[in-house]
Amino acid sequence: MTVRVRVRNAETGSTVDMELEGENTVQEIIEGAAGYWEKDAGAYVIRKGKKLLRGQQTVQEANIIMSDDLELIPDPEGG
Amino acid sequence: MAGALRVDHLEEDRWERSRRVGWLDMDAVRSAHALVIGAGALGNEVVKNLALSGLKEITIVDMDRVARSNLNRCLFFREEDAISSRGKAEVLAERARELDPQLHVRILPNRVQELDGSEFERHHIAFGCLDNIAARLHLNSYAYFHLLPLIDGGTLGTTGKVQVVVPPTTPCLQCAMNRTHLRVLEKRFSCTGSDTSYFEPKLAAEITTTSIIAALQVREGLKLLSRQGDRCLRNLLHYNGLSNQVHELEVALDPDCPVHAGGRA
Repeated sequence: MTVRVRVRNAETGSTVDMELEGENTVQEIIEGAAGYWEKDAGAYVIRKGKKLLRGQQTVQEANIIMSDDLELIPDPEGG
Repeated sequence: MAGALRVDHLEEDRWERSRRVGWLDMDAVRSAHALVIGAGALGNEVVKNLALSGLKEITIVDMDRVARSNLNRCLFFREEDAISSRGKAEVLAERARELDPQLHVRILPNRVQELDGSEFERHHIAFGCLDNIAARLHLNSYAYFHLLPLIDGGTLGTTGKVQVVVPPTTPCLQCAMNRTHLRVLEKRFSCTGSDTSYFEPKLAAEITTTSIIAALQVREGLKLLSRQGDRCLRNLLHYNGLSNQVHELEVALDPDCPVHAGGRA
């Protein structure tokens, strides 16, 4: 089943709608959104509310449902 | 008169004000050995906070040398250190001793990957102040295996994060990573032409974010040392200094994470 979600770019506030299948993974969402916004090579994570979604989880496993709001966040790796 | 109370005795005791912080166990803090991995911007701030918090034994690990571009955010580095390209760990140790002459600082001018396993056994707590994912993953797995609590910090411009890893119960750094982390890790290695030539993105970095993240790291460390672990961060804290937002993000333990499979848990 296809679900439509909105992904927000934490750096700019802009959003993009994505259509997902149940077997799509969280890392595919991350890469799709990062590619759409032409992000620099780097580490990114996605959160749904207070939950950081695990990369290997599928849309189904991560309990991503229709109209969910997700946020793409660059993972700070500098020291 | 021997043994008489002096009116200014409270001002003579270096740690008198610290002891007034009710939850802080200064005896535990004074007897703790801390391992600080990375002597860059976060490492400078973390060591400063540890020294002023009363730790007496700190080991600093870093193989890098001071460069002029470090001087916008590294409290203890000076122009002359950059000119003479001094070792970061050496400079940091020297300046930290100026803060507290009783402080014992050991330096290991190595990569974290070169550390002997015994280093993870002889300390009570570790602070991750690193600038790359490969080193983070190495520290994460060794600290977890040796049941050494790790407080990791990271910054990127005006954003930062802190994660507290307490083996064998909490998720680890790798549990919060995905393929984008590994891609940067692989890129770094795939671009290696020699020991000194590798892919290294120049990240935005400034002192205010560094100060905040390092302060959070050390405060969480003091809680752990003071047996206040139940007050510690349970999740991954993300900080955005531009929007003034702090999110505590829940990280689930990844059942497929090799760190847990290979650990003592």
